[in-house]
Amino acid sequence: MAASTSQPVPKAGQENSNRSLLGRVFLPNQVLQRPFLLMVTAFWAAIALVLWSASPWASLPGPGEVLRAFGSLWWQQGMGPELFSTLKLICHATILTVAISMVLSYASIIAFFRPLVEAISKLRFLGLTGLVFPFTLLTGGGYSLKVWLLTFGMSTFFVTAMAQAVLEIPREQYDYMRVLGASEGRIFWEVVVRGTLDKALDTLRQNLAMGWAMITMVEGISRAEGGVGALILNQNKHFHLAEVYAVLIAILVLGLLLDYLMAVSVRILCPHVLLQRVRR
Amino acid sequence: MAAGEILLSVSDLWQKLGDAQILQGLSFDVRDRVRPDVVTGQVVGMLGPSGVGKTRLLRLIAGLDDPDRGTVRGPGGATLPVGSVGLVFQSYPLLAHRTVLDNLIVAGEANGLSSSVARTKALALLERFRMSERARYFPAQLSGGQRQRVAIAQQLVAQKTFLLMDEPFSGLDPSALEDVTKLIVEVANMDELNTVVLVTHDIRSALLISDTLFMLGRDRDASGKVVSGAHIQKTYDLVDMGLAWRPDLDLDPSFPTIEREVKQAFKAL
Repeated sequence: MAASTSQPVPKAGQENSNRSLLGRVFLPNQVLQRPFLLMVTAFWAAIALVLWSASPWASLPGPGEVLRAFGSLWWQQGMGPELFSTLKLICHATILTVAISMVLSYASIIAFFRPLVEAISKLRFLGLTGLVFPFTLLTGGGYSLKVWLLTFGMSTFFVTAMAQAVLEIPREQYDYMRVLGASEGRIFWEVVVRGTLDKALDTLRQNLAMGWAMITMVEGISRAEGGVGALILNQNKHFHLAEVYAVLIAILVLGLLLDYLMAVSVRILCPHVLLQRVRR
Repeated sequence: MAAGEILLSVSDLWQKLGDAQILQGLSFDVRDRVRPDVVTGQVVGMLGPSGVGKTRLLRLIAGLDDPDRGTVRGPGGATLPVGSVGLVFQSYPLLAHRTVLDNLIVAGEANGLSSSVARTKALALLERFRMSERARYFPAQLSGGQRQRVAIAQQLVAQKTFLLMDEPFSGLDPSALEDVTKLIVEVANMDELNTVVLVTHDIRSALLISDTLFMLGRDRDASGKVVSGAHIQKTYDLVDMGLAWRPDLDLDPSFPTIEREVKQAFKAL
């Protein structure tokens, strides 16, 4: 017979709550409260800053140098208007992307349009660089060229993701609405449009990031209208590394801000989605 | 409508799924049950093993699928277009992006009610189903039992004579099971013509609330080997047997005997 022990047996769940915070930070699938998450984030940010400051590579200017370059770019080289110009371009392209992609994605529920949507989705494998010439002929170059190149680049990915989201709606959802007596138009609105709105916003969020990543390339094609893409390429040409990193950081911060705004939109427009997500 | 008149007539129903013949000449009628001075709807239990075609049958009655052959008719031989028969799916789907109240309002509007009328009916149903305090919740915030109640309420916003329920007792604890059985009887007895058809494996619950039990079983050849197709192999008229409409039926000394008999019959399906 096994000897009895004086150690109390922990109840279910008690073991987890008794673990130290430090222990839980390193365990998989632990849910941490927001202040602790912020502490972990701050820890990694501090590590990155220390590594950057202590970097021995000459090709990576220090934080102080980059900060000074940022000041110079902002006050003397008109970085503010360049950023505004870029934001205007990305907003214009995003509006067109959303309009075109949503129509195409929703059209995928109609058999007639499915091959067209499939074909447009496949165009995502084409590189933008090779399309500059035909797009220049079609748009006449300049601002229109940049808008349509970006729109094309983002739309092919947007259509792919959204058409898939529409395709993955379970048949039961349609049947359930039919049994309720809903018309096909109401079913389209409730199941396809409203039912996938959270996915549409998430997809837009991802595509906005992709568009933001393409911006330097697109703005480099026609530099006359300026923008941060043109700015970074000009600084690159003169090997002003601190300025290049300053522009990169500005692009990153602005991109993160747009991403945050998109996340807030999801929270406001689709509050039900948050109930199904666990922040780990 | 005269007592005993046919409310639902399923006649010579054939249905294939891929190459497999699921239903082969399935027929049954549901008749109006009448009790003097008591509004009495119909509760029909459909028992059968997994894969026999019970859910298929519900889809055919609801008009979601067309049969390969055969007909489904309502009172007076009327056809039953999709949307005229309520169906509570096994997974209780709801619109995840709408609140409980809005889910019910959508169901009313889908049936031609104005928003204000749909809202009034929805609120009354939530009250009746003891879900008023959950009106502003999203489906993701509901328990399985609460979800089921909302799914049933949603089917009742617009007046429908038929309500089909796919496995309504699965996964419920004893307390929730008792609530659901009471709810089903309540729904059936809201109107004389109301007819609830339950597809289930739960013999005991089906016996306790049904007035008719259909045993849907696979067809067999002369040697007893299972062949393609299924039909109603046995019918229990629980009214004739004196077992219907009795809230205390499970306390009746004869109940274990009939329960055992139905279980035996089920095993042979």
